[in-house]
Amino acid sequence: MRMVGGARRGLDMWLAQRASAVYMALFLPVFLFCVLTAPSLDYTGWRALFLPLGIKVAALLFVVALLLHAWIGLREIFIDYLHCARCTMLRLSLYFAVAVLYLACLVWAVDILWSVR
Amino acid sequence: MKFRIYRYDPESGNKPTMRDYELDFESTQPRQGKKVLDALIAIKDTLDESLSFRRSCREGVCGSDGVNVNGTNVLACITPLEGLKQPIEIRPLPRLGVIRDLIVDMEQFYQHYRAVKPYLINLDPEPENERLQSPEDRAELDGLWECILCGCCTTSCPSFWWNPDKFLGPAALLQGYRFIADSRDQATNERLDFLEDPYRLFRCHGIMNCVEVCPKGLNPTQAVGKIKALLVKRAL
Repeated sequence: MRMVGGARRGLDMWLAQRASAVYMALFLPVFLFCVLTAPSLDYTGWRALFLPLGIKVAALLFVVALLLHAWIGLREIFIDYLHCARCTMLRLSLYFAVAVLYLACLVWAVDILWSVR
Repeated sequence: MKFRIYRYDPESGNKPTMRDYELDFESTQPRQGKKVLDALIAIKDTLDESLSFRRSCREGVCGSDGVNVNGTNVLACITPLEGLKQPIEIRPLPRLGVIRDLIVDMEQFYQHYRAVKPYLINLDPEPENERLQSPEDRAELDGLWECILCGCCTTSCPSFWWNPDKFLGPAALLQGYRFIADSRDQATNERLDFLEDPYRLFRCHGIMNCVEVCPKGLNPTQAVGKIKALLVKRAL
């Protein structure tokens, strides 16, 4: 069979990677500012930093952006380097495995952030 | 001057080797202004007539003598010998099949070029004289039409090395954009459809080797960026 192409995909992934990068670039300086202007950075001070709902949501979105960015980046690497005859299955398995791992990280991050009360 | 040149003769059955040559330019003719192609021709004329390479116009217009000199893809005819580290290593363009010595099989490269339909598609009735364009529309094509298809950019692109059969490569993408950008072309949507694929366009990671080696000083990465911007504009 002839090789097929034109999957009408690629743009969404590319755009999502850029969007997540923009969010991280905006979040990190703001967060750093919050950390630097915090009255104290001991355990209670660090916990107090994550008390407001706004920070929790922003931090969670940062985790989402980071994981999405990393997943798309890994997907690019798999596409670039893994193309043997049977690599479609291998690539699919890797996408799945990394996605499960990252989703687990996301749930874990929710648990950590919302444990701060 | 010392040279180390990649030699491969498929008929001999031997593996490719690097062969050393020493050329005495100074005694025979003034060395100043000599290019790599002059050396190749001199080696073929005086030292080893079996050395094979492509060349035609010898002034950087035809794009047939793309070779890899000391690790960089160049046109042999416009690359000065002066300043090159000796022994000057001359190899065929990377990643393409070698037919013989410095001659590579460009079929894959031309296949990608043909795939972007490098011609105007316009279904309107043909005008009496010509399809006119405003000076501004014409200016859009500058930096695109000058490509001579030497293959230096595509064969220096790691994304092409990894996926030579699926990624179109900088030269074909630059030509693809040349017709997307043309105000007289009516197949912009179809062209964008063709490029919207995880491999054909989106294997470009902006490594920019293509920009660094282009002997005509063109910028395929910028063209790729413009195609991506058009795809975004179309999707939103």
